[in-house]
Amino acid sequence: MIRLKNVAKIYPPNIVGLEGVSLHIQPGEFVSVVGQSGTGKSTLAKLLFAEERPSRGCIEIGGWDISRIKEKDIPILRRQIGVVFQDFKLLPKKTVYENVAFALQVAGERPRRIRDVVPRVLKIVNLDQKAGRYPTQLSGGEQQRVAIARSLVHQPKVLVADEPTGNLDAINARDIIDLLQRINEFGTTVLLVTHNREVVNRVKKRVITIDDGVIVSDIEQGRYKI
Amino acid sequence: MFVSSYRITKFALQNFWRNFWLSIITLSMLVLTLVTINILLVLNFVTNQAIQTVEERIEVSVYFDKEVEQSTVDSAVEYLRGISQVRDVVVVDPEKALENFSKNHKDDESIMASLEELDSNPFGPTLIVKSYTAEDFDIILDALENPEFSDFIREKDFSDYQAIVSRIKDTTDNIRFFGMVMSAVFLLIAVLIVFNTVRIGIFIHKEEIGIMKLVGATNWFVKAPFILEMIILSFVAVGIVVLVSYPVLAILESKFALFFGGVQVGLINYFEINGLNIFGTQLMVLIAITVISTLLAMRRYLKV
Repeated sequence: MIRLKNVAKIYPPNIVGLEGVSLHIQPGEFVSVVGQSGTGKSTLAKLLFAEERPSRGCIEIGGWDISRIKEKDIPILRRQIGVVFQDFKLLPKKTVYENVAFALQVAGERPRRIRDVVPRVLKIVNLDQKAGRYPTQLSGGEQQRVAIARSLVHQPKVLVADEPTGNLDAINARDIIDLLQRINEFGTTVLLVTHNREVVNRVKKRVITIDDGVIVSDIEQGRYKI
Repeated sequence: MFVSSYRITKFALQNFWRNFWLSIITLSMLVLTLVTINILLVLNFVTNQAIQTVEERIEVSVYFDKEVEQSTVDSAVEYLRGISQVRDVVVVDPEKALENFSKNHKDDESIMASLEELDSNPFGPTLIVKSYTAEDFDIILDALENPEFSDFIREKDFSDYQAIVSRIKDTTDNIRFFGMVMSAVFLLIAVLIVFNTVRIGIFIHKEEIGIMKLVGATNWFVKAPFILEMIILSFVAVGIVVLVSYPVLAILESKFALFFGGVQVGLINYFEINGLNIFGTQLMVLIAITVISTLLAMRRYLKV
């Protein structure tokens, strides 16, 4: 599903974000990428949804080489990869329903399909009863669930979650990880970027550890070891 | 396609309402620029009409001696009609010349008394020569120096219309230059305001644009509302100018009629005939300018 070959990301003047990263993630896998702050975890996530371009190496998603992806193809890629962030990135003046529908609207989906898809994804994240609320009327955990619902509307094959529990308390964090695992069970490949030890240990799936831009361990059923 | 167009329009209108006062300022500048350009157009039209009116009145009266033979007068008429700068030559016989003179000076007792003292008609044949423009005046006067009949000409009478025409032209040229400078200044201000409106719009919508990109909006979908907003503003600006124009032109028409001694200058008629071209061209140019400003602002501030 995801294949990186000797990927490097160097920021000017000569700051190493990632160096010599090679990995292969199978379809339907749940992979946690761990490491301390500033080690290159988020850079890896950004490379996957083309917010950053690699300085060297090759990145393939579903057989598509996105290392030198053209500007016009980025929206197509982003409709195939769901992305969730620590700060939720919700529009405060839109309701839960509108925030989720927004992802379909900007992609030019028909109103009928939007009316069909949005309630379904809101049900998956258990927010169908709060569709009319605004983000400020929701808890942090609920806001993150809205963001996850939004990332699911295009039925992505890959979901990249960059520190999704970073702003949440332990209970909400657990709920979010459970939700990501449930999504993974439906067949979506999940890449979870985190430095939360408890989260990683709870998942008990493949763990890739990055330190100073380099993969230092890749364990099939790992634990947080740094 | 239809759905996307609808959403782009919706986002464009949202931009307008969310930055209402900024949109109003932009709109005002666009209207002001168009008003200045249209004032220039009206000025140009009225100037041309004024010059035409003056030039239509340009004529040289050529008074022949009383004893001149009719054949000399006829050959002078023929010669003058052969000159391309001559619009018309009217021959006034001595009796008619006397009648006209008496009519023109009926209130001048001394002239009328002098006339009565004369035994016979003092007037010979008279030619009234009309030209096309004031510049043709000199050529006609030169032509009248032809020795074939110049010796029989007692007097040539003309008013200095060329001076009047050149005064009108000088004054309107100055006004026109000032108007063009003002138009250019307003246009520049309009371009800067459009640029700034888009820039502020981009900053206000920064978060929304970021999320749009994140969830897979195309570059065109992100940019189109800004472009469309400026196209809508251009339409509204031209619409306002068209609506305001008619009553203003009607008022100006009556004022000009007073100025031109009751003669209608045909300002409304001119705009009725050419309105589509005038306002259509203004709309196209305005859209081109606002869209270019928008594209420049987006290129500078919107990284999609």
